[in-house]
Amino acid sequence: MDAKKKVLLIDDDKDFLLATKLILEKGGYEVFLAEDGKAGVDMAKSLSPDIAIIDMMMETWSEGFNVVSKLRTSDTGKKIPLIMLSAVDLQGPYQSFEPPDELPTVDLVLHKPIKAVELLKFVGQLLR
Amino acid sequence: MDDKAGYSARILIIDDEESILDGCRQALEKSGYTVMTTSDGPDGIRLSRSEKLDLAFVDLKMPSCSGMDIIEVLSKEMPGIVLIVITGYASIVSAVEAMKKGAYDYLPKPFSPDQIRAVTKRALEHRFLKIESDRLREEKERMERSFITFVSHEMRSPLVTIMQYFETLKVISENSLEQNAKDIIDRCEKRLQGLHDLVEHWLDLARIEDGSFSEAKMPIVLTKILDRSIEELTPLCQRREITLEASINEPSAKIMGDQESLVRVFTNIIGNATKYTPPGGKITITMTQDDYYVYVTIADTGSGIPADKLPFIFEPFFRVKGKDERQKGSGLGLTFVKKIMDAHNGKIEVTSQEGVGTRFILRFTRLYEL
Repeated sequence: MDAKKKVLLIDDDKDFLLATKLILEKGGYEVFLAEDGKAGVDMAKSLSPDIAIIDMMMETWSEGFNVVSKLRTSDTGKKIPLIMLSAVDLQGPYQSFEPPDELPTVDLVLHKPIKAVELLKFVGQLLR
Repeated sequence: MDDKAGYSARILIIDDEESILDGCRQALEKSGYTVMTTSDGPDGIRLSRSEKLDLAFVDLKMPSCSGMDIIEVLSKEMPGIVLIVITGYASIVSAVEAMKKGAYDYLPKPFSPDQIRAVTKRALEHRFLKIESDRLREEKERMERSFITFVSHEMRSPLVTIMQYFETLKVISENSLEQNAKDIIDRCEKRLQGLHDLVEHWLDLARIEDGSFSEAKMPIVLTKILDRSIEELTPLCQRREITLEASINEPSAKIMGDQESLVRVFTNIIGNATKYTPPGGKITITMTQDDYYVYVTIADTGSGIPADKLPFIFEPFFRVKGKDERQKGSGLGLTFVKKIMDAHNGKIEVTSQEGVGTRFILRFTRLYEL
């Protein structure tokens, strides 16, 4: 049997982490949790996950972008798919959201809350 | 400078008579103020710009320049500085004119040290009160702005997490739950979705009202907006077994508008129509135009709105009682629609007949590009 794929979840909301972890475990993944950006970047280095899911708004509303930038410049983060989670609709009108000038690239943006089937579908697609 | 304690107010005196300058300086420095003097008008204006003044005395009648002009410049350029005119000829008329131009008070010559100190004290009190009230107003505005941000994060976060938990609960329990427990989860999810919509709609309205709603208006082809809206709502209509039909006779008509908010306008109205239209019913979207306007009509074959309720449907939290309590919307959807139409200089009209259906007519001004 293949080893389980490793998913790193980075979000400052413990409950959201737990809820999402259970869905991913049901989907057959090994899930690791980081409660802030710094812990997430450290864990990405030490664990070498196969994919990372990062919340956009943590300590600051754009902390997620900082994490993605750091991951993208690290050895592990360069290679793996990254999913950005957001509770706000970035494409929607009247968001006071002003993205940083140079957005680090993520493979996918998903909006919270996420349907379990969708989460598993997208993670599966990105890991294929 | 938050109060007078330990702060030495900065005062400038502009007068051509050296004896007046000296007298004022002595009288005011005795009271602990920082005093600057000049006999030259332009020099006075220069000092006002550079010295962070609280108060300036300006002689109205000087040979080199007009005190009235100095008052005018200073009150326009530095409205924070309290201005007091010194009138050599005790003329009420010129004092009144100066006050119209922005002076706070006047001091007729000749005056005693006590008089100038009394006028200064009163003017500074006025100055500090104004600073304090400006500070409070700014603080209030800042709080109002951050309140929206606060709500958007602090209300959305727990809501989203609870919704995620319900999603997880369904996944991990799978077949171990009895049907009635599944029904309860289903009901909870619907109510949470309603609360989520309410927060989103409320935020939309708050942003429009506080001005942070920045419209990105540009020339757009209205058909594209309609296509997107229809695409978004088609799955919902299919689930509710409602036919969604569009008849567009002029696909290229353009208007000036904000794409995203207009999609929300149409999805709101069509979404509403699905709530009040029974299975087997029909929602028809037509687009027509004349020389000036493009009209979009959204008609349903639903339960209709009673005539006495019709005038209120754009009011916040007004709801026409539906049969199914669970189909309740946020109560802000149509308020949002109306505000967006207003922001587009558009017009929205509604006609309805109970048991027959409801018809929304949206009018936009056509855009002709040369």
